Amino acid sequence: MLLSIENVSTGYGKAQVLKNVSINLEKGEIVALIGANGAGKTTTLRCITGVIKPWDGNIKFNDQKIDSLQPFEIVSLGISYCPEGRDIFGNLSVFENLKVGGYLIQNRNEFKSYLDWIYDLFPILKERCNQIAGSLSGGEQQMLAIGRALMSKPIVICLDEPSLGLAPIVVENIFNTIQQINSNGTSILLVEQNVSLALDIAKRAYVLEKGEIRLCGECKDLSNSEYVKNSYLGIT
Amino acid sequence: MLFYLLQQLINAISYGSILGLLAVGYTMIYGILGLINFAHGEIFMIGAFSCYLFVKFLNLPWFTAALLAIASSVVSGIALERIAYRPCIRRGGSVLTIFIISFAASMFLRYLFMMFFTDERRAFPIPAFFEKMYFIGGIVIGLRDIIIFITTVIIMLLISYFIKYSKLGIAMRAVSYDKRTANFMGINSTLIIKIAFVIGSILAGISGIEYGLSFGIVNPSMGFNPGLTGFIAAVLGGIGNVPGAMIAGFIVGIGEVLFVAILPSIYSPLRPLFVWILLFFILFLKPTGLFRPNVKFDGGWEE
Repeated sequence: MLLSIENVSTGYGKAQVLKNVSINLEKGEIVALIGANGAGKTTTLRCITGVIKPWDGNIKFNDQKIDSLQPFEIVSLGISYCPEGRDIFGNLSVFENLKVGGYLIQNRNEFKSYLDWIYDLFPILKERCNQIAGSLSGGEQQMLAIGRALMSKPIVICLDEPSLGLAPIVVENIFNTIQQINSNGTSILLVEQNVSLALDIAKRAYVLEKGEIRLCGECKDLSNSEYVKNSYLGIT
Repeated sequence: MLFYLLQQLINAISYGSILGLLAVGYTMIYGILGLINFAHGEIFMIGAFSCYLFVKFLNLPWFTAALLAIASSVVSGIALERIAYRPCIRRGGSVLTIFIISFAASMFLRYLFMMFFTDERRAFPIPAFFEKMYFIGGIVIGLRDIIIFITTVIIMLLISYFIKYSKLGIAMRAVSYDKRTANFMGINSTLIIKIAFVIGSILAGISGIEYGLSFGIVNPSMGFNPGLTGFIAAVLGGIGNVPGAMIAGFIVGIGEVLFVAILPSIYSPLRPLFVWILLFFILFLKPTGLFRPNVKFDGGWEE
């Protein structure tokens, strides 16, 4: 078990958001976390990455408890986070954003080879490498955010709603790249509101409703489930 | 008349250097934390005054005293961040609260020193080496003016290079834009903030010593006016913008000296008025300053 969230309950202040949530991620998998707005998907990712602490339960990475660590410590263990809404550094250039992403890399040659890998994955970033990130289009910013998260050569990358606000053709491009990244060995925890996309790309999925795991299983099974088809895919 | 103005210009270059260093310190801390550290003027004062104390009472050689004085500024800056600002930010203090704390810290440090040392003006120790003067075509240029200017320019070039190209510099710019996301890159934002305070304090300490060398007089309340002027220069340069602050420091310094030079001498005490008139114009004509500011104005306190 690479990453496991075991019976986690948490929330903000007095408001409970997650109730007894358990999620597993094996090495090499793409696991999707789907659900409606407000279900608690981003909260789950925030808990994994150390922004908020679980009230109950454990989060383990490679069997090591990580729930008491600071976000920057969790990143150094190999869990990268690509936040919802992209959150790129708008005052820095594309290259500088990637450089920040590779902050933990000590070796210059290593840095260069990761940078080349990202430029291969996203040629448009290479083209615009000196452009100020705030002036990029939404799709380009999303690519930059993913590329930046990859710069630390993470073992697991948590993607929060990568399709948000993007045109279908751009989304298709990005999801193909996500597939490529996974083939390269990176495990992915994907939070998505676009359920059909998520079920298409992932191997397994968890359905989160009002802070609880309603369903989980292989994506091919979930795609055929009547409940999922009715509630999330709009198929009656 | 021309000679008089040129002479004043030479004085202004030193004053501009001093203000430039102060402005960079202000702007760095504002850029990283979104707070105006009004006690920055006191850190400047601590640099100058402790150099005086180390020479006068500990009989240390000047250069050693100067280095220790800069160290004192750094210690004060770190203590300030830890004692005054961090607890407030951590508990979700509003911008206004931090503002008030900043004033309080400034007054506390100023009056603390006044309490122990009285506000009497002291002569800043100037090594004989610095007293050399050059006479060129009717104008007097002191060796100290040249050294102050060159030192400041070198520091500014180093800082510019550091901020733009070094890993730590880019990390500081990232933290100043978005502290939380910077954490997700593996950057320890809290440490970066401390480093910003250290750098800002070093600059303030050096600026204080330059002031002592240039004006020859130090006292506990000396930080008030240069501090305020340095702050206004930082605003003029686009808050959070380090090269902007450097240039603006010179503009304000030279402007202030020329302002007094042009006025009839009875009006000389009105010198501090210049910066307020300048601030007035900035707020009306270009509130964001001459150059592009570098802060994501989103409140930024929420964790």
